[in-house]
Amino acid sequence: MTELQYSGYYDYNATTPVADSVIEKMSSVARKFSNASGKSALSAINKQLIAESRSNVADLLCCDPENITFVSGGTEANNWAIKGGLLGFVKNPGHIITSAIEHPSVLDTIKYMKDYFGFEVTYLTPDCHGKIKTEDVEKAIRPNTQLISLMYANNETGVIQPVKQVQILARSRNIKFHVDAVQVVGKMVVNLSELDADYVSFSGHKFYGPKGIGGLYVKDKSSLHPLIHGGGQETGMRSGTENLMAIVGIGQAAKTCLPEIERWNEKNNTFKKLLINKMLEQEFEVEFNGTTSFEGAISNTVNFSITGIRGEALAFLLEAKYGICVSIGSACSNNKKKDLSHVLESMGCSEQRIQSAIRVSFGLHTELADIDYFIDAISAAAKKLLSVSHSIKKAS
Amino acid sequence: MYNNTIMTHFTDPTFVGNIDSPEVEIIVGNSVCGDRIEVQLIVQGTVISDVSFRAWGCATSVATGDIFCNSVKGEKFEEIALRDRDYFSKMLGELEPSQRHCIDIMEELHTKLCRETRKLL
Repeated sequence: MTELQYSGYYDYNATTPVADSVIEKMSSVARKFSNASGKSALSAINKQLIAESRSNVADLLCCDPENITFVSGGTEANNWAIKGGLLGFVKNPGHIITSAIEHPSVLDTIKYMKDYFGFEVTYLTPDCHGKIKTEDVEKAIRPNTQLISLMYANNETGVIQPVKQVQILARSRNIKFHVDAVQVVGKMVVNLSELDADYVSFSGHKFYGPKGIGGLYVKDKSSLHPLIHGGGQETGMRSGTENLMAIVGIGQAAKTCLPEIERWNEKNNTFKKLLINKMLEQEFEVEFNGTTSFEGAISNTVNFSITGIRGEALAFLLEAKYGICVSIGSACSNNKKKDLSHVLESMGCSEQRIQSAIRVSFGLHTELADIDYFIDAISAAAKKLLSVSHSIKKAS
Repeated sequence: MYNNTIMTHFTDPTFVGNIDSPEVEIIVGNSVCGDRIEVQLIVQGTVISDVSFRAWGCATSVATGDIFCNSVKGEKFEEIALRDRDYFSKMLGELEPSQRHCIDIMEELHTKLCRETRKLL
């Protein structure tokens, strides 16, 4: 698969190709080198470009531009929301609620706060379909709960979490609420004014923008300590000379997505339904990981396990023979440590099911013919691998 | 990433199958990653005359089964017994750390093959 061939790409949840309109816009500012925080007329032009980008992002997220701070990506946004939101409590560390299915940039940051500052943490597990229950969040709340962090939709299963219901719970108890929305922004309509969370993370490269740029929605900046101090850029919340090209890129990506989201969503839902139905028609035995309901998950994601085949082997065969790129639920491991998807583990999936898991995620360049191509390829690849494992006794 | 040897033997293995009345059967598994390879052999005197395998596991593990079969077919027991870990490593080519457990699988395949074929002498 060459860089410009998107037909074999089924891994849009990992990253997306930069949109042509984004490349053009970024290229147009490549020589605008003036420091946007400077006092010159050229600086003012760049400052205006940043303001326009912030406005475009705010339009996509249905919020005010003042609530958006640009950062280097989803990982920084998650680190900042958690560390910055809890910094005021380190002398009196309390309790954090999160889920076991969060992205590592949330889980590892919370573990850091636990290990180094003594916060207590409750990790909620999802049901077998991958959804966290609101009542479990409510039961976990303690008098000293200081932060709840819950993702909007899971990156592996696409399952949407009850973020609005949890926001209502958190607000009623005056608990700060962080939402990792990296997997939904650009895939479905996200209204942050309605959601009314305290902090919401997003990343540009998940919706056809460049890598190295993302943002954090902050409802009330006085509630959050800066993570990076220095020159006072981004209203003092995130110092460092502004990355004009990347900021212009995420702004253009937002502008490109906004009028298209509902159409993309509808298209992806059609493809998802088709893929699921065609998978069920195949001769192999398939289990879907996470809900297959179309309301309960983002429209572009299907996670499944074909019984009797390792996902790693299937993914490699799909890439080597058919130029198809997907993600897997379990990497090849060494002799001492298993490397299983923490998401599927927490859903109660068996080890063999996790080792067989494949994630397919569609996007902008996916067409109907790509679904047919994928089905033909996986049918042939599965048949070949099942012939290798055929009649083998249950793996130990 | 996978080296060309692994890629070739995984994508187009030539020894997949079952032998109706095998004289020797060896099974190797890895309790951590769950890989499992079953090999069936026919011998003539002290030579492996036919061999086939089945495998459940990662791509490198499947390739290991095929590389093993390819390397022992037509070979004498005593020559196979001379192979050491360095030889096994070279058979598989350059591997990433996460793939190196397949050297252990290759070694175990040889150890079990030698043990079983000794019983036939």
